Amino acid sequence: MDDNQAVNALVRRCVSGDAAAWQEIVQQYHRRIYNICYRFSGSADDASDLAQEVFIKMYRTLSTFDTTRASFMTWVTTVTRNLLVDHFRKGKYDRITDSLDAAPGDQEDGLTFAERLEDKGLSPEARVRSQETQKLVHEALRRLSPELREAVILRDLQDMDYKDIAKVLNVPEGTVKSRINRGRTELARLLQRNYKQAN
Amino acid sequence: MAGEIHSEMQCNQVEALLAEILDGTLQGETLKGFETHQQSCASCRAMIDEARAGMNWLEALDEAEPPRNLVHNILAQTIGALPSEHAVVKPRGEGWLERLKGRLAPMFAPIATPRFAMSFGMAFFSITMLLGIAGFHFADVRHWDLSSKGIRRSYYEAQVRVMRYYENVRWVYEIESRVRDLRRAGAPDQNAQPQQQQEAPAPNPKNPSKSDNRRPGPQRQNYSRGNGEPVLATFPAVMLAAIPQARQNRRTA
Ligand SMILES: [Zn+2]
Repeated sequence: MDDNQAVNALVRRCVSGDAAAWQEIVQQYHRRIYNICYRFSGSADDASDLAQEVFIKMYRTLSTFDTTRASFMTWVTTVTRNLLVDHFRKGKYDRITDSLDAAPGDQEDGLTFAERLEDKGLSPEARVRSQETQKLVHEALRRLSPELREAVILRDLQDMDYKDIAKVLNVPEGTVKSRINRGRTELARLLQRNYKQAN
Repeated sequence: MAGEIHSEMQCNQVEALLAEILDGTLQGETLKGFETHQQSCASCRAMIDEARAGMNWLEALDEAEPPRNLVHNILAQTIGALPSEHAVVKPRGEGWLERLKGRLAPMFAPIATPRFAMSFGMAFFSITMLLGIAGFHFADVRHWDLSSKGIRRSYYEAQVRVMRYYENVRWVYEIESRVRDLRRAGAPDQNAQPQQQQEAPAPNPKNPSKSDNRRPGPQRQNYSRGNGEPVLATFPAVMLAAIPQARQNRRTA
């Protein structure tokens, strides 16, 4: 609650024209926004551009933030998510949508995710920690449909609770849970053979 | 009572509770009903395992590091100003390590952060060696903020950087000469014979110094060089052992 009050005060200062307050908001939230954009778009370059657009939008609409309806964190996440959905609907990031249609086995070397993971000959722990694994999970995440991807990003990467995710996505909590379940399951299938080996 | 009212849990009910099952937040009769069902239902167990696997993969993803200029760009596009010094909240404990990172950044810009499981001792040695390369002096060590937190934070980055050195012969030569400097600076404390150290700054097979005598002969003959030449013999064994292994890891990666 104290955190919420502190950030609400910061927003009020910002709306009244305090540049230092805005600077602090940017400092506090840029990592979160960048990460959501990065995991959703799959590209570091796009994430950087998208995160900047999110902040421009936030800066213009900060006065519409209503403390009685949601926490600032939820509002920030909603702005981010809506901008992402908007961009991908308009097809500004076509090559990413293209890659979503590609079959899991369509890698340049003809190997599936699991085969590429197994090739490394690493222990299960090392596999989970290796950068190669990070890359493969990141790629697998990109292959989920946007609906499932955004749900698991907010839950498993951003640790949001179901109620807040429901607010961000503007769907009932039951739908949120079902999308999270399907997202996790589909991701596991993309990485499945490796998981079985690891256990 | 409740048991009589609720009939045995069905597969679709388990599926509806999947998120809570993975959260571990089921309670009371629901939990009992689920446990009874899953004991006799292989397909529900498989479904739960699969979803849990996906959750574990996702949670293993690290937070991505935003580009350094992101905050700057955002501010430039909103309030049209550069970050002012006073308003930027710097994390406490930012000391030599951050400054070192800044100094080394141009050299290591393209390096990401893979993880290798290695000893803490090696990470520490890596840091001291990096500092030597960056122009810090070993004798100043007492002035550094060597808190365990700070070292731990830089653990992976430091060892990755050191690994990269060995991928590049130019760096190996740089390290060799710096290690020699470090050794000179560190020697008086270990030997308590500064006088002799000044006369014979580098190991010489024909006039072995006291510190050389502590090493087995064959190793010295294999690795030591003459005065003024690179001194690989001063590398700790753990470092030498780690190099081929790291190369192996990279080859398979
Ligand atoms: Zn069942």
